Amino acid sequence: MILAALVRKEVLLLSRDPHALGALLLMPTLFIVLMAFALSAVNQEKLPPIDVSFTSAATNTDTAFFKQALAKQLGEGHLRDATPDKTQVHLAADFSESLLDTDARTVQVTYPPSVDTVTRQRVRAIIQTGLAQSRLHAFLLETGDLSAEQPLAERLDDVAQRTQTLLDERELSNSGTPTEPANASQHSVPAWLIFGMFFVMLPMAHSFQHERQSGALMRLRCLDLDTFTMAFSKLAPYLGLNVLQFVGFLALGTWGLPLLGLPGLSMAGAPLAYAALAISLALAACTLGLAIATLARNAEQALLLSAGINIILAAIGGIMVPKSVMPDAMRHVAELSPMSWALDAFRALLVGHGDLTSVAPFCGRLLLFACIVGIFAIVLFRRRLRDMQWVAQV
Amino acid sequence: MLELRNVSFSYPGAERPALEGVNLDIGAGECLGLLGSNGAGKTTLFSLLAGLRQPQVGHIRWQIEGRPGLIPQQPAYYGQLSVRENLELFADLYRLQGKERRERMERCLEAATLGTLLNSRAHGLSGGQQRRLNFAIGLLQPAKVYLFDEATVGVDAQARQRLLDTVAQLPKEGCAVLYTSHYLEEIERVAQRIVLLDSGQVRLDLNKRQLLDGTPSLLLEWPHTVPPGLEALLARLGLSADPLPHGVRIARLDIAQLTEICAFLALQQEPPSLLRFGQPSLEQLYLHLCGGAL
Repeated sequence: MILAALVRKEVLLLSRDPHALGALLLMPTLFIVLMAFALSAVNQEKLPPIDVSFTSAATNTDTAFFKQALAKQLGEGHLRDATPDKTQVHLAADFSESLLDTDARTVQVTYPPSVDTVTRQRVRAIIQTGLAQSRLHAFLLETGDLSAEQPLAERLDDVAQRTQTLLDERELSNSGTPTEPANASQHSVPAWLIFGMFFVMLPMAHSFQHERQSGALMRLRCLDLDTFTMAFSKLAPYLGLNVLQFVGFLALGTWGLPLLGLPGLSMAGAPLAYAALAISLALAACTLGLAIATLARNAEQALLLSAGINIILAAIGGIMVPKSVMPDAMRHVAELSPMSWALDAFRALLVGHGDLTSVAPFCGRLLLFACIVGIFAIVLFRRRLRDMQWVAQV
Repeated sequence: MLELRNVSFSYPGAERPALEGVNLDIGAGECLGLLGSNGAGKTTLFSLLAGLRQPQVGHIRWQIEGRPGLIPQQPAYYGQLSVRENLELFADLYRLQGKERRERMERCLEAATLGTLLNSRAHGLSGGQQRRLNFAIGLLQPAKVYLFDEATVGVDAQARQRLLDTVAQLPKEGCAVLYTSHYLEEIERVAQRIVLLDSGQVRLDLNKRQLLDGTPSLLLEWPHTVPPGLEALLARLGLSADPLPHGVRIARLDIAQLTEICAFLALQQEPPSLLRFGQPSLEQLYLHLCGGAL
């Protein structure tokens, strides 16, 4: 009766807190949709086109061939003549003479500040392919395998055919069986789902501080209620909400995103593994929320701690920046974040098509984290109750 | 029902104890009005009785089962819940069921005149209505001892009368009540016993009838100490005196006895700083005892 009454109270308070519901449901939904839009081209190898400006100090067969080779790779309309604010490719006057000299620097590339590292790598790859094709073209002309009389486009097709590389790329699941390649949603949906679930820290901390400052907690304290019952009554509604978030956001990824023309989430892996992950992730997020709620001494501290810790855990845990692009030291730091363990578990399921054994190590870590943080939270909760005063505490 | 023996409590870092050697007995059916200026130790005493603190010296013995009913100064409920939801929540926490639950709910709603506000969210109530809800939640608890701390602040006169009627009814039902308020006429109305706390000590513990019994009494006070010889004089006259800080209160004396006392006073080197004959109100008494600080 007592536990049910306390849980009912928490549910009512939560359901009447629009800010909490916005932070827990609306914000992660927006994150998932926006990030799915932003990353929709990644992993589908449909990267956005690059515009390149081309100039040459000399004009001859080699420079014309190289220009054509670049144009073909960049796509129609993306190689322009002397356009400012674009990546500039300039051929030196001795480009033709030094074509076969691999030490010569006859191609100058200038990047405007807005060009990111990935685009620079793509530009480099395009130029190197163009150079390799130009060298082969010069060689084939010299050996007579190609005739200068042939149209440029025909020669380029011939060279391209000789230099093309077809790779037989395959995706493997955790069990070693072939699978489909993962799309961007397989990576982005779990990341923002985890981030959204850990946001329970905010309303938990806010609600606890409000209860403490209003004097209502003092009334409960004077009733000699069991600490564990009180702590569990605070956890239970948020655990339920976390599971609801887990299911809802996966459903959004699976059925909602395709309605918006975005790649949908393909729910691979064993359902039992998802259930285990949902429970362990919810326990980790909610016990951390309770710990922050009891650690803070006032509402301002609670807000700062809960938002700050959530963002820091996300930043180091590979939610905001993929762990694959982090330096080694940061990757080690990432292993300290429960968000990183959850993300690895999702990857084992969604990309690796894993089962319960695939996620067990990650779920185990999350549960251990929940146990340690939960014990800390209950000890702190007991202390906060013990320190309650008869008059208002602000 | 409730016994405090030599209870002392000091806050960490405080220069002097918040409570020092407090002895009190509160029996069933007794309403005790607790007086004291700010910092006198009332809040600390309530904290100890509510179980929020433990005495560092002495002990509190409850001869009853269950926890006291609390009506604290600050509204202690959930603002986002309605009046009904708050009452239902605390009824559950007080483990009230069936007929007893219905009866107590009805009684609290009637006492606090909240019947028309059942579905209103608590945070939307006026200040006085919020106090009434706070009162109702405390009264809902089935307890043998009730602690009222400034329970009627901000409540309009009509509603206050109803709350006071309810408080006055509790001792008749065998409950003990500790009541503190800055409205001394409330204490005068509901309390049968007056306890004055000053600097953490009980300075006065008198039956209201003794204190305000309708017969004239003589209040005497000196700047420093009671002159020697007064005690012997009072004994010779067959009078009993209640000791006060630096003075005495002598009840039930006639004009002849008063004349003898005045003759004694005239012979003293240090005249009394206060000499009042008549029936003072509780407020006058209190202002006098506390030097005017409420």
